[in-house]
Amino acid sequence: MNKSSKAVSDSAFHKFIYKPEFSTLIILIVMLIITAILQKNFFETKSIVRNINAFTPLILLTMGQAVVIISGGLDLSAGTTLSLLTCVLTFVMKKGEPVTGFYAIIIAFAVAVLVGVINGIGIGYLRVPPLIATFATSFIWLGAALFLRPTPGGESVEWFKMFYNIDGVKNAPQFLKTFGTIVPPGLILVILGCVFWFVISKTKTGRYIYAVGSNNDSAYVSGINTAKIQMTACIINSLFVFLAALFFVGQNQSGDARMGGPLILKAIAATVVGGIALTGGKGSVYFALVGALILSFVSKIIFFSNVPNAYQTLVSGLIVIIAIAGTQVYAPYNKRAMINERQII
Amino acid sequence: MISLETIGIKKCFGGVVAVSNGNLKCQKGKITGLLGANGSGKTTISKIISGVYNADAGEIIFNGKSIKYKNPNEARKAGIAMAFQNLSLVGDLTVWQNIVLGVENKKGLFLNNEISKEKSKAIVDQLLPGLDINKKVYELNSGEMQIVEIAKAILEEPKLLILDEPTAALELAQVKSLFSYMRILAKKGVAMIFTSHRLWEVMEICDDVIIFRNGENVASIDFNKDGKDPKKIVSYITGEAQKLKAEKNHNEITEETVLSIKGLNYGKFLKDITFKLKKGEILGIGGLTGQGQLELMLALAGNYPDVRCDAEINGKKIKLNKPANAISNGILLVPGDKQREGLFLSHSVFTNIIFPKLGLKYQPLFIPYKKYRKECEQVVDALSIKTSSMDTPVSSLSGGNQQKVIVGKWLSFDTNVLLLADPAKGVDVGAKIELYQHIINQVKEKKMSVILYASDNEELIEYCDRLMIMYEGQIVATLEGDDINDDTIIATSMRIR
Amino acid sequence: MNRVIISQNNIAYRIYDRYKKLIIALLLIIFLFVFGEVTVSNFLSLGQILLTVKLASFIALFGLCQMIVIASGGSGLDLSVGYTATMTAVFTASIMNGENGNLWMAVLIAISLGITVGLVNGLLTSYVKLPPLVVTLAMANILQGVIDVYTAGRNITGRPSPILRIIAAKSTGIFPNILFILIIVATIVMIILYKTKWGAVLFGVGANETTAYLSGINVKLVRCTAFIITGVLASLMGLLLIGNMGIAFKDMGSNYVMPSIAAAVVGGVPLMGGGGNYIGVILGAIFLQTLTNLLVALGWGDAGKWLGFGILLFILLIVYVRNRRSI
Repeated sequence: MNKSSKAVSDSAFHKFIYKPEFSTLIILIVMLIITAILQKNFFETKSIVRNINAFTPLILLTMGQAVVIISGGLDLSAGTTLSLLTCVLTFVMKKGEPVTGFYAIIIAFAVAVLVGVINGIGIGYLRVPPLIATFATSFIWLGAALFLRPTPGGESVEWFKMFYNIDGVKNAPQFLKTFGTIVPPGLILVILGCVFWFVISKTKTGRYIYAVGSNNDSAYVSGINTAKIQMTACIINSLFVFLAALFFVGQNQSGDARMGGPLILKAIAATVVGGIALTGGKGSVYFALVGALILSFVSKIIFFSNVPNAYQTLVSGLIVIIAIAGTQVYAPYNKRAMINERQII
Repeated sequence: MISLETIGIKKCFGGVVAVSNGNLKCQKGKITGLLGANGSGKTTISKIISGVYNADAGEIIFNGKSIKYKNPNEARKAGIAMAFQNLSLVGDLTVWQNIVLGVENKKGLFLNNEISKEKSKAIVDQLLPGLDINKKVYELNSGEMQIVEIAKAILEEPKLLILDEPTAALELAQVKSLFSYMRILAKKGVAMIFTSHRLWEVMEICDDVIIFRNGENVASIDFNKDGKDPKKIVSYITGEAQKLKAEKNHNEITEETVLSIKGLNYGKFLKDITFKLKKGEILGIGGLTGQGQLELMLALAGNYPDVRCDAEINGKKIKLNKPANAISNGILLVPGDKQREGLFLSHSVFTNIIFPKLGLKYQPLFIPYKKYRKECEQVVDALSIKTSSMDTPVSSLSGGNQQKVIVGKWLSFDTNVLLLADPAKGVDVGAKIELYQHIINQVKEKKMSVILYASDNEELIEYCDRLMIMYEGQIVATLEGDDINDDTIIATSMRIR
Repeated sequence: MNRVIISQNNIAYRIYDRYKKLIIALLLIIFLFVFGEVTVSNFLSLGQILLTVKLASFIALFGLCQMIVIASGGSGLDLSVGYTATMTAVFTASIMNGENGNLWMAVLIAISLGITVGLVNGLLTSYVKLPPLVVTLAMANILQGVIDVYTAGRNITGRPSPILRIIAAKSTGIFPNILFILIIVATIVMIILYKTKWGAVLFGVGANETTAYLSGINVKLVRCTAFIITGVLASLMGLLLIGNMGIAFKDMGSNYVMPSIAAAVVGGVPLMGGGGNYIGVILGAIFLQTLTNLLVALGWGDAGKWLGFGILLFILLIVYVRNRRSI
């Protein structure tokens, strides 16, 4: 009877074309091809491993950010959270005492959860606009990080290097070392993250994250504890940041209070490129991963195309805008705005 | 057997008293109507019963036990469910995901989607067979969304079901279908509270009715004992003896054509619309909901940049590609969704009323406050808008008064054609009559022509000189004079004749 | 219809309600100063207050940029104001070269740069409909890149014109000159926002774009214009920045971006658009600056400074900027 409600043709393929995810895939393929052309040894194992390792931190940060954004929030403090966690890890660990590595992991994990809880209380329970709330908390984490590590440094234990490069660990068994050259730890961390999210997405919490992000009031009135869900999303995000921190310390064996800053903005851009709607309720965490890949390839392309140093920031900024425009251009074809009246900030 | 009773409920929001003394009773297996003007407290007390709000004072007794639910979840678990007027649906989730939202089936820790889908399909098939439960809710039209909302409320077989204006977006046939379903539920012993602004619906389906005014229960009428007297009911709602109908338009309709539309086409929504509007007449647009009526109104108002048509106003050719064009030619729209499309809720009554003047060409840079304030006062007077001052935010006005503000925006303009897109939607019975009365007075005074779309056929029958019926984006019939009656409207709407 | 009665109708309550946020902002500032005086002597000195006001004026002027864009609605935000200012400072430094003669050219360049940046931001957000947060973020990146290219292999030479130095850095008697600029700007802004149709249209578009559109307003144009105005203002701020610092350097403006947003929020500008009072933004800026000064004066060092800033801002936001449920 009411045919006038459909603006686009019905076939599933037709619908997919208009989704941002479609453009994301196309852009990914294009970037991949260009990178492969420019980086001569692209398909060699060594460079694949190196690439994966370079991409890991951004991918993890982006996936976590995607979860928060889908739930209707935003976490500007993820960058300084990362810095804080690296400082915590290198503060607890004592060189030459392998067991401190375990303590460090447990304590850093707890700190990550605490960060998520505080952000979650601000966004979920107290309903402060997420942009400003996490702007404020980012200073808290920065201050705490500076307190632990006024200057970059700190200690790490030998086996911690496994989070970055098993080969570098002095006494590691040979089979693990060979394993590590084929399957880089970075990849394992990312897979761990994916599995983590996969499990959550199959539970009530997973669906509620989408519901709360799409329409907070409707979710509340349907009996969902919206504050708790938003807090859970914040905690999930900080756990992803935790994984990234493990990677960083594994790579650099030191903590730095100021390293996280630039990454957070890239992560947010990556989620948009990956088709996540900043208004929440929509998008796939796995596609956000693709968004991070795209931005990472962009950096590689700029690096290998011999663009003069000075031009690199400029070109990368331009490509980000083009990528975002590419994935967002079909937004007007969506009727979702009709019941979803939300603001992102 | 009493299912639920509220005693002395009180609820304030900030400085505003929403419910001052809420007393109501409803019984198992009976359908209780809850009537009252917008702002009378009936929606608030419904939300208190269903756990969305906490009462400041008073008692609720459900099945003999005194209860106090902290959140909607607790109420739901106890067997109280509510279908919300402003829909509690999540647009990005599918129909079945919405229906089970909050009460999903689980296999251990994980969601059991098969069972959820089965349960949803079972309910949907009873209410609206053929609806694809895998569609995302944002893809549905408003009638379908309403059905999903109702399905969601009845999924867990509640003992008390509150339906807050469930028929607003439904077709007549769907309303009847809902009523049969409600009667089945009643037989099973479910208690129901039903609110609607359409008196005939309340009189048809309810066993008794409770009327709220000013935050408290002012009358309870048992239809079996006290009979059904619409005049009395309306008088309880408004607090005064009220005419049931506004004076019909006795305007002289000239033969002059004020607006001529030829071949209006817009995408999939409107096909080849052609008609002429005579000066001084009220031309109605009817038909089943969602056949393009709202789109036609918006198109005439210049809302669609890519609309194609030949339009002439008073013989002069015009383009309808932006609202500013329509406005400068005296075609003014009172939009359908008043809160979303017609008002600046956070701004004052004054700002809202004079705002369109700011968009006109050749307006002074500095707002002439004195002059505008006088004009605003005249508008408030002419339409009897009840507000404590011109500076109160329009969000604190009742629905009927908000609608008057929207109509008032255009009063000081030189209107040739007034487009009314369901002006009385969601406005309660008493306010509706008053609103139409004011509109008709203005129309007579200023010699305007009106195109009126109303989702309630009664309004069309009452006020229109001619009535165009739309179906699938086209005009399929034009009725005049005695032909404008319920039977003919329904028949032509459904293409039976 | 018989609508429920508002229970507090007296005039005192109405004044309180309308200016609630401004009053709270003022009280908080006073509290900070008193606290500072108690814990650190000489905090409440005239010198300190004037210094605070001077630095806060810069934040307040950037806050004006934000307010315009935020008020226009559609999740409006401009994260590129910092680098717009920096870019102007860097480009005009060598043109002015410490003389007054070319100041007019510098101003012209500033305005053109501002229009360009604002136009791109505006087109991408209003017409291509990309989210402002990300667009202006990417724009900031691009501008940073442009500055990198321009300064590659050369030092940024050039001093600001003496006139700029006087306006931005110096004082007349005890009052910093920038304060006068702020007062002039604030007066003009208040008049435009509240007495002219431009202001009313801006707030209307921010409050409800559909209603504004149906009332005949060209919403996209209004929003695009808001970005252009913001771009020009931010660009002119670049001149003031270089006037204040005496030289131009690469990250001059980036420290003003977040404080400008915070000042607007603390000052009661709703992030959804459609409202806001510039006086509030100014008070918000003063509050933030006072807070920063207090923490520095307490000698807490880097860690303590940021920790304190974050915690206090967070608490302030909790008290102040909570969203109520709309059901």
